[in-house]
Amino acid sequence: MSENHKIIEIEVLRYNPESDDEPHLEVYKVPFSDDMSVLQGAQYIKDNFDGSLTFRWSCRMAICGSCGMMINGIPKLSCETFLRDYYPSRIRIEAMANFPIEKDLVVDLSGFIEKLESIQPYIIAKEPRTLEQGEYLQTPEEFNRYIQFTSCINCTLCYAACPQFGLNPDFIGPAAIALLHRYNMDSRDGAAAQRMELVASEEGVFNCSAVGYCSEVCPKHVDPANAVNINKTNAAKDYFLRFLSPKGGSK
Amino acid sequence: MEIFKADVVIVGGGGAGLRAAIAVAESDPALKIALVSKVYPMRSHTVAAEGGAAGVKKPSDSFDYHFHDTVGGGDWLCEQDVVEYFVEQAPVELTQLEHWGCPWSRTEDGHVNVRAFGGMKIERTWFAADKSGFHILHTLFQTSIKYPSIKRFDEHFCVDLLEEDGRCQGVVVIEMGTGEFSMIEAASVIIATGGAGRVFRESTLGGIVTGDGMALAYRHGVALRDMEFVQYHPTCMPVTGLLFTEACRGEGGFLVNKDGYRYLQDYGLGPLPDKPKNKYMELGPRDRLSQAFFFEQQKGRTIEHPTLGSVVHLDLRHLGEAHLRERLPLIYEMAETFMGLDPAKDPIPVRPGVHYTMGGIKVDGNCAASLPGLYAIGECSSVGIHGANRLGSNSLTELLVFGKVAGVAAAKNARSAAPGNSASLLKQAQAIEQRVMALKTRTGGTERIAGIRKEMAQTMEDGCGIYRMQDTMQATCDKLAELRERFKNISIDDKSSVWNTDWLTAIELDYQLDVAQSMAHSAINRKESRGAHQRLDGYELRDDVAFLKHSEAYYVAGGAPRIVLGDVKITKSQPAARAYGAAGEKADQERKESNV
Amino acid sequence: MSKRRPYVRSMDGWWRKNPFYVEYMIHECTALFVAAYAFVLLVGLVRLGQGEAAWNGWLDALRSPVSVAFHVVFLAVIAYHTYTWFVIMPITLPPIIIGGKTVGPGVITGGGLLAAVVVSLVMLALVWRIV
Repeated sequence: MSENHKIIEIEVLRYNPESDDEPHLEVYKVPFSDDMSVLQGAQYIKDNFDGSLTFRWSCRMAICGSCGMMINGIPKLSCETFLRDYYPSRIRIEAMANFPIEKDLVVDLSGFIEKLESIQPYIIAKEPRTLEQGEYLQTPEEFNRYIQFTSCINCTLCYAACPQFGLNPDFIGPAAIALLHRYNMDSRDGAAAQRMELVASEEGVFNCSAVGYCSEVCPKHVDPANAVNINKTNAAKDYFLRFLSPKGGSK
Repeated sequence: MEIFKADVVIVGGGGAGLRAAIAVAESDPALKIALVSKVYPMRSHTVAAEGGAAGVKKPSDSFDYHFHDTVGGGDWLCEQDVVEYFVEQAPVELTQLEHWGCPWSRTEDGHVNVRAFGGMKIERTWFAADKSGFHILHTLFQTSIKYPSIKRFDEHFCVDLLEEDGRCQGVVVIEMGTGEFSMIEAASVIIATGGAGRVFRESTLGGIVTGDGMALAYRHGVALRDMEFVQYHPTCMPVTGLLFTEACRGEGGFLVNKDGYRYLQDYGLGPLPDKPKNKYMELGPRDRLSQAFFFEQQKGRTIEHPTLGSVVHLDLRHLGEAHLRERLPLIYEMAETFMGLDPAKDPIPVRPGVHYTMGGIKVDGNCAASLPGLYAIGECSSVGIHGANRLGSNSLTELLVFGKVAGVAAAKNARSAAPGNSASLLKQAQAIEQRVMALKTRTGGTERIAGIRKEMAQTMEDGCGIYRMQDTMQATCDKLAELRERFKNISIDDKSSVWNTDWLTAIELDYQLDVAQSMAHSAINRKESRGAHQRLDGYELRDDVAFLKHSEAYYVAGGAPRIVLGDVKITKSQPAARAYGAAGEKADQERKESNV
Repeated sequence: MSKRRPYVRSMDGWWRKNPFYVEYMIHECTALFVAAYAFVLLVGLVRLGQGEAAWNGWLDALRSPVSVAFHVVFLAVIAYHTYTWFVIMPITLPPIIIGGKTVGPGVITGGGLLAAVVVSLVMLALVWRIV
């Protein structure tokens, strides 16, 4: 790092709930090399200037989902965003939008976790099978129907991108609905009808107005907007089927 | 202080901890389970495992083959009875995970597919593209939500174990969001905190891999076993250490030096076969491949890169973009994003990096530690299946097999244990709170956390790298003792309560220094070369007479650990020459003939 | 006592904070033009019901320079609406699988736009022949 003394200015939205009334910006001058990520920039500040700077991080390789933040106003994983791409301009990092700020870049994720828990994110077997019977078979077509929606790393960038979630924090939101859809689409699962009540509820899919930014910022190409919108159709179908057939509809 | 009464408390919410929690919940729904994790469980480092999980699957494979690969791969330092149990349970647990929804990659006819891995005679690695750990972890986390008896303590940091009447009876934790302490009482405590590789500099590991649970058990008098065996993964991204999975080679990737030569054939892994062959060349075990890199570097045959240092090339070009995108999508993206390379067109510069701690908290086949009521599983433990070198894809299976074993054992213990004395436990917990708070509130320190951490990582790399020498190991032991002293003068900038990561990082560093000492002292004591512990100072050979033994490090307050040697359980595989490539095939043949 | 004090940021003016949202608001607003033109056609229908004189009066009004200018603006806005509608279309549809392969978003958008152009041209040809 020491060979080239390029210095980038990193502007950080700081908030300490024990001493600040509201968040404020602080600027740090960080020496960097071309391979340094924005996360490493934040680490440099913490290690050398101010140990109280607070942010979540772990794997450094865009799979643990911890290090999301707003980078120049765009939700991104800081570990796979590089300082060189912003230099020589100043770069601004802030806590993920639409979530309450706990401290500095750390937001309150408890609501998101409750939503994940609410969608019954586990296989409720269509046909129970014992271990002695071995694995379920899945054809490539059956596999391809759900695999894309298993890739979500729960980074919540899609929530930071969703104005409807910002306006109504009760909205189940993109990632949780994508996970719900993942289980509904799995040939091993038989509980789509059980999950329908939540899909069609006041917190459900009809909060979405198809802004589509969630899919745009998703670092894993899950396309949560697609899951949400497919479930709008499913919920509408379910609603009308209830009138048409005594067996139709989830309830 | 808040008090929570559980029957079983699990520290660590990664693959092992989650599997154990489910096992407790399934074995007795009446038991209350507290699952403590310093991150949300799906952030745990299981998430970063790429290649897959080993379990016999093909008709041409057998438990016996898996057993011999594992024991030979571990250079005969494995507990063989435990390995026998492990290989038999492996397919059961992997199938269980399939039933829970894990998206294992499939064959065209819909069955779970398996791929080749280093040191494995037959293809037996179950995989979910190259995100196997990610899918295993998320499947377990999501499945755990089904069980109401599992109460999660997410983003809670464990600072100590409670020990009373010679039994472990709970833990003390800090809620990171508030900085407040809680005591969790439980008759059974399971530690599942993962490895400690962040004591080294260049590693594949996440920032959370700081050996917390190892240090906690160690300070309570439990031995850390075989800590000198630290695995260097041969194919890591230079500087950052990020991992390029062994599956790159399992799928047919080559390692070449600056002349484009597949140098592994010079290190007992050849001759060059026509097509990829198990246990040959790139499909050799990790210790051998990392050691080969070291010698290539000595001979000046590595590529000297201006910013990345000495590297060799991982060449995947001949596999083609379509195959790479399907089987190794994460690797493809990482090469593009982090290195600006297209693996279908460019070779990838790689070098070895610290990846795994074979050793850990000494436990028996039931995952029970010497302290009654305490259990350990996963990378933080040493149940005895990895010996001196772990085979790739055995560790993900380990989480499942032994997560279940520990869960069942801990549940049984919790049902039969006498109730604890809550008042005296609380008194203990309050003393712990005072001690941990003192670290934060004290003023006048001058040592920066990052400074000590950097020096620790550097000295570990210098003294406990791929090859080791008496004098550098001694220098490392001395340096660690010095850092232990200097830690007393640490400065913590942040004095607040809410989300004080400055303080927690200091506590982690304290854990790391203990674990680092156990590694360095175990290493200097082992005067032979075996598996991942290789010396160049007159002890280049394996010495089964003196060192077919486990190293056990015991904590000594304020001093160097006490190292004793423990017996190794041998059932059906007597130590033999550890050979791969054509030599390995010949040795296999001879063993078979002598058994007949 | 917990010292947590989560800070909730205001959503005021949220749509001005990101070019993506600005574009979203613009394309949502173009729906108003679609509605407005539907209203113009509705008026025509009502006038037709009122007899020949009323109908001719409506046709004359359409030929006025103001109306022509108004139509040019509407054509541009509704063309933009059509474009954005098909750009969003891939995220609203379940996967379309042809020959074992999922149809990509580009193909869906392109196909939609092509269909819109073809239908418009057919309409244009029909109307031209009647007049």
